[in-house]
Amino acid sequence: MSDKSSSGLDDFEVAVKNGAMDLLNSIEMGNFSSAIQIIQELSEARHKSFYNEVGNLTRSLHNAIKDFKVDSDDIELSDDADEENGSKITDASDRLNYVVEMTSNAANKTMDMVDSSVPVASELQKQAKELRKDWGRLIQRDLSPEEFRQLYKRIDVFLSYADDSATTLHTNLNTILLEQGYQDLTGQVITKVNELIRDVEEQLVHLVAVAGRVDSISGMEHEQVVEEVDDSRGHGPSIKNDNNPEVLNSQDEVDDLLSSLGF
Amino acid sequence: MKILIVDDFSTMRRIIKNLLRDLGFTNTVEADDGTTALPILQAGSIDFLVTDWNMPGMTGIELLRAVRADDKLKTIPVLMVTAEAKRDQIISAAQAGVNGYVVKPFTAVALKEKIEKIFERIDAGK
Repeated sequence: MSDKSSSGLDDFEVAVKNGAMDLLNSIEMGNFSSAIQIIQELSEARHKSFYNEVGNLTRSLHNAIKDFKVDSDDIELSDDADEENGSKITDASDRLNYVVEMTSNAANKTMDMVDSSVPVASELQKQAKELRKDWGRLIQRDLSPEEFRQLYKRIDVFLSYADDSATTLHTNLNTILLEQGYQDLTGQVITKVNELIRDVEEQLVHLVAVAGRVDSISGMEHEQVVEEVDDSRGHGPSIKNDNNPEVLNSQDEVDDLLSSLGF
Repeated sequence: MKILIVDDFSTMRRIIKNLLRDLGFTNTVEADDGTTALPILQAGSIDFLVTDWNMPGMTGIELLRAVRADDKLKTIPVLMVTAEAKRDQIISAAQAGVNGYVVKPFTAVALKEKIEKIFERIDAGK
């Protein structure tokens, strides 16, 4: 990307070297008018190279920004807006919001199903326990004929309840299973956003390279700002920390640390 | 026993609430960050605080410090349930006076264990 313009700079350097030698020769030979001519030429070459470089930089900058496709005027992005017109960043942000929404819905739906299944299982367990008690008495031949008739009816009711409960639980489990489809859909969205981040990074590197050249020809220097990391704000879940001794990887490690602190 | 659950994600609050219910703690209230939790605590009647760390507004560690700095609240047991797992963070939570620290993702067993341990200590201290 910078071959053409850097060769422009190289040409200028060669011109300066050659010019310096000619200048030295001219001065040694006492040819001052020629020396002044050479200084003049060098000065012109410097201007020319400077303007060429500025031209190249402007073009590179323009291209880098154009590649970026971030259009702050176009924050309002409807779903059907095509990619060329919309900001990819806004789109990515929308996509990530969709992931948050979708995972939240799936989690809530799953918990709804759990909430509606727990009482069914508890009731089934309760009835089975009661029946089993009387069933035990039946085996021991400890039931009166009236109690036996009662048990007879209760077993019929229980079996029908067990049948219905199993159907309910089955349906709930199936709903939970289907809800896990969010992983596929959100996975696809996240993969897309990941690709965008990689693209943006590439273009940013390009932009930084262009900015570096601006600095080198203009002689600007920047202070390095080191960002303070504030633990109290939190970092979110830790990812891939196998190599980072500052991050603990399991509850056991946390427990060990706390007990070493006297907990 | 009234428990305040503080987390910015409603799903996490719901998970913790359900687990607590299974452990027999049915009386729970919820808040979505330290700023909304503090008035609930100050209104009284909260016996136990379960809080996340990373939340918008007031974070869990700030909430913990505020609780420990308040004469009326400073004895409330605080359990942190959080994805924050940096050594320095756990140390600063311990220094701030946390009673238990559970890292996400966690299991029902881990949560139960920590809560029971906290109550054991409180009973032993009586």
